[in-house]
Amino acid sequence: MKITTKRALRKWVLILAVTLISIIYIYPVYLMFMNSVKPFGEIVSDAIALPTTLAWDNYTYVIKKIKYVKLFTNNVIITCTGIVGIVAFSSIAAYIMDRRKNRFTSIAHLIVITPMLIPFQTIMITLLKAMNVIHLSGSRFGLGVQYWGFGIPMATFIFFNFMKTIPKEIDESAIIDGASTFRTFISIIFPLLKSVTVTVIVLDVMWIWNDFLLPLLMVNSSNKTKTLVLAAYTFIGQMNTKWHYAMTAMVLAVVPSIIIFIFLQKYIVDGVVAGAVKG
Amino acid sequence: MKKRILSVLLSTAMVATLLVGCGQSAAPAESSDAAASEEAAPAKEEAAPAAEEETSDEEAEIYMFISSPEYADAINELIDAYGEVAPNVTINYETTQNDYPTLLKAKLNSGEVPDIFSSTSGKEIDVYKEWSYDMTGEALESTIDPAVAAMMKSPETGDGLYGIAIKGNYFGIVYNKAIFEEVGIASFPKTMDELKTACEKISAAGYKPFTTGFAEWWVFKHCGQTFVNAAAREAGITSAELVSSIVKGEKTVADYPILMNNWFDFIDLAVKYGDDKPLETALANEEAALANGECAMTLGQGAWIEGDVMSINPDFKLGFAAYPVSDNPADAKIIAGSDQALRVNKDSAQLKATMDFINWWYTSDYGKAWFNDVAGVVPPILSDSESEFEVIKQGSALSATDGAGDLNICYSTDSFHQTFGELMQAYIAGTATREATAQAITEQWAAIEGAN
Amino acid sequence: MSQKQKRLLKEYAENFLYIIPAILLVTVMIYIPFVMSGYYSLTEWNGISKAPKFVGFSNFQTLFSSKGEFMNSLWFTTKYTFGFTLFSNVLALALAVALTKKFKLANFFRGIFFIPYIMSMTIVGFIWQFIFTQGFSKLADITGWGFWNFSFLGDPKLAFYSVVFVGIWQQLGFYIVLYIAGLQAVPADVLEAATVDGATGWQRFSKVTLPLLGPSFTTCIFMSLTNALKVFDIILALTKGGPGGSTYSVTLQIYKDAFTNNRYGMGSAESIVYFLFVLIVTQAVLKLFSTKEVDL
Repeated sequence: MKITTKRALRKWVLILAVTLISIIYIYPVYLMFMNSVKPFGEIVSDAIALPTTLAWDNYTYVIKKIKYVKLFTNNVIITCTGIVGIVAFSSIAAYIMDRRKNRFTSIAHLIVITPMLIPFQTIMITLLKAMNVIHLSGSRFGLGVQYWGFGIPMATFIFFNFMKTIPKEIDESAIIDGASTFRTFISIIFPLLKSVTVTVIVLDVMWIWNDFLLPLLMVNSSNKTKTLVLAAYTFIGQMNTKWHYAMTAMVLAVVPSIIIFIFLQKYIVDGVVAGAVKG
Repeated sequence: MKKRILSVLLSTAMVATLLVGCGQSAAPAESSDAAASEEAAPAKEEAAPAAEEETSDEEAEIYMFISSPEYADAINELIDAYGEVAPNVTINYETTQNDYPTLLKAKLNSGEVPDIFSSTSGKEIDVYKEWSYDMTGEALESTIDPAVAAMMKSPETGDGLYGIAIKGNYFGIVYNKAIFEEVGIASFPKTMDELKTACEKISAAGYKPFTTGFAEWWVFKHCGQTFVNAAAREAGITSAELVSSIVKGEKTVADYPILMNNWFDFIDLAVKYGDDKPLETALANEEAALANGECAMTLGQGAWIEGDVMSINPDFKLGFAAYPVSDNPADAKIIAGSDQALRVNKDSAQLKATMDFINWWYTSDYGKAWFNDVAGVVPPILSDSESEFEVIKQGSALSATDGAGDLNICYSTDSFHQTFGELMQAYIAGTATREATAQAITEQWAAIEGAN
Repeated sequence: MSQKQKRLLKEYAENFLYIIPAILLVTVMIYIPFVMSGYYSLTEWNGISKAPKFVGFSNFQTLFSSKGEFMNSLWFTTKYTFGFTLFSNVLALALAVALTKKFKLANFFRGIFFIPYIMSMTIVGFIWQFIFTQGFSKLADITGWGFWNFSFLGDPKLAFYSVVFVGIWQQLGFYIVLYIAGLQAVPADVLEAATVDGATGWQRFSKVTLPLLGPSFTTCIFMSLTNALKVFDIILALTKGGPGGSTYSVTLQIYKDAFTNNRYGMGSAESIVYFLFVLIVTQAVLKLFSTKEVDL
């Protein structure tokens, strides 16, 4: 009896502690949402009080001003382009690297995954020059293609580690049946990579969708190509005294991610885990 | 040549990548883009000679990429008005404040040079001179304010007109007249001693004398320049000579008593009688504290805060005065001038169309009235129209009676000013002594400006 | 040519065909710019003039000899990396342990902790800047606690902790999820056996669970380490390197030198040095941890 009460007590202390910490997590997000519907004067005079009037026109103003729909489309295009290329190129490369181990493939493996250690800032200066030469800067598609290069190392690393868990007999039997390598990969191996593909997609979508520096250098010049985060950033810079619009812009930038997260929480969390821990 | 080789190398690599990549689901889109990017290169080169023959009646597209987003609405109106004058000219206007230098450099290096771009005036005129068109002899020369034009000369050669300004500016202290009246101070202090007395009185009445905005690096350059002028006056040289004496390593900050003593005393005073968290107070906090009547004076601000302050508190009684910097009331002079410059790309394919636009802006009736009526700025042109803004009204009155000081921030680049701001922040934070800070300022001034 | 040779040749061709896109893309996007950085590090160039000037290794000399900003930023990054890696892993593990105790809202809390991770770091920086500058003073008025009146972004010492705090706040959820997965993979029978042997709760955790968490540890440490070394967006939005230049990370320093200070060549030199630094640190830490890992 005594032990169980002690246990129950400990459990409650634990829940209390977790709840307190979670307040540090909820409160800032709550403040952002709440201040986004306050008129200017109210934010300045009291940042944490509830709004007395709901200033929804903050939203109409910002949505119009930053051309939200357009930016949203840009983000979708850039992210989709990036993801398709990353998954396609790195999954098949990882497959060959794992199944056909020889001098060439192991050197290739090393070449492909080493860039994981190069901090982006070390090359951002010259990347810009290089991308201008091949006309990949200044366009959404071009930026998407650049993400292939930046996403492949990590994705290959994850795919390669996961590939070990798929028994070789599976594709060997397909080859014996006369299927080509490519055919085997597409119709037999790739479906088996589902869980780890989700990992790659989840990690890369979060990264590309929210990325800042690369889009800043590549597509910031025009509203036709800008991303949401960039727009929020420049907008906040321009409105650095107008916190009400800045808050609204921030909310508009994070709301898509939060909605997606709420609906796909299970897949996202499982996805993060599948590749990272099994790898 | 090197660029050519690299280009070929990279293009080949890309095309190969894309071709090899076929067979994947995304193939059609990829190969079409590869073709497109190959075609784009020669097409661009051919476009240049053709464009030279264009006249203003023909269609032209001007790409304008400038800082100062606070005037975006006004500039859009200007562009719309020009659309009626020259319907065939399209102006693509883009503006940003954050990271403007980064993005401009990105564009210059990518060959996508804007037809109109911006920099600060003075020293930075030379930094971008290679790209910049000399407007000497253009129609606008007759209307531009000579004080503004002086800032657009190349400091190296002492001539040229390498830019125009969107606005003139007045730099001084924006203060709350009501508080000064309430505590019984009739005229704004002109010496350091008067300022100290005023602070004591204001503080005793339960107000905070200063809100300082020391979280912003540019607040320091705006405040500091009045001290530089006074120090130069005391040394019997011009402010430009003072700056170059430090940059060349001949003198140090410590050699100028007004910089070494008065400037740091002033900062100490502002911190003592200022915000609770000086290094966390930024522009927005300053505006709110001033407008709400908590604080009597702001540092480092000017005409640009008037709109915000009045929108927070429409009954605010705004006063504008010069920084008291020494025992000599004559040193307390506001500073007038234009600290930024709009430049025109001299190699622009649309040079004529661009200059037509700029000349129209500075010489047409609409353009001339625009500064006051639409943008609400100190006109950078010769004009006698009246402004609605208190800072501008009081500023021009002050410069008429007391004269205006030299806009000496322009003798250095913002690279230095940013470092200067950081060094001053470290001083305020107490991580560096006065002597160490002065020495670091001397060193950085020479290192950064010497290199540029 | 025999059948076997033919097949082998075809296989090699295939290998090449399927791997080369990845290699080419990585080369174009990463290796070529990296080599170009190497060239610019040997020049003096402001990023504006049309012709860079070749100066040999003088950028590197200045970089190491001056009491300079680069060394300060390297020191800041080291401190940041240490603080971030240590606390995010300790806290994440503690919360993961708490969240694997079965109670109703565990999944809900896990979701709450994860939300900042899906937000852009730039936005996170801005939100916290707003809270530090606007929210805290109001909290001070309400609660009367002196704690809220500290200048968290304005005092160089506190600014460091604030930056570390916000960095951890943003990423913690990610590590929590990884540790939860690791904890759930610890076989129940091993734990039961330990209980039967009379191990206390703490002993069970430190002697059984912790060693078996090896793979999660390696992943989390590696991830948090590389993320900390690359810290950029949060600082840019939160402090811009201030106050008084006290929160410049190396990445921000490179950015500043190259783009704000018009020292493109110097920025490139700093890039190269920093790459070597990152390479050495990550390899050393990985080595350290992979030797300690316990496999099931």
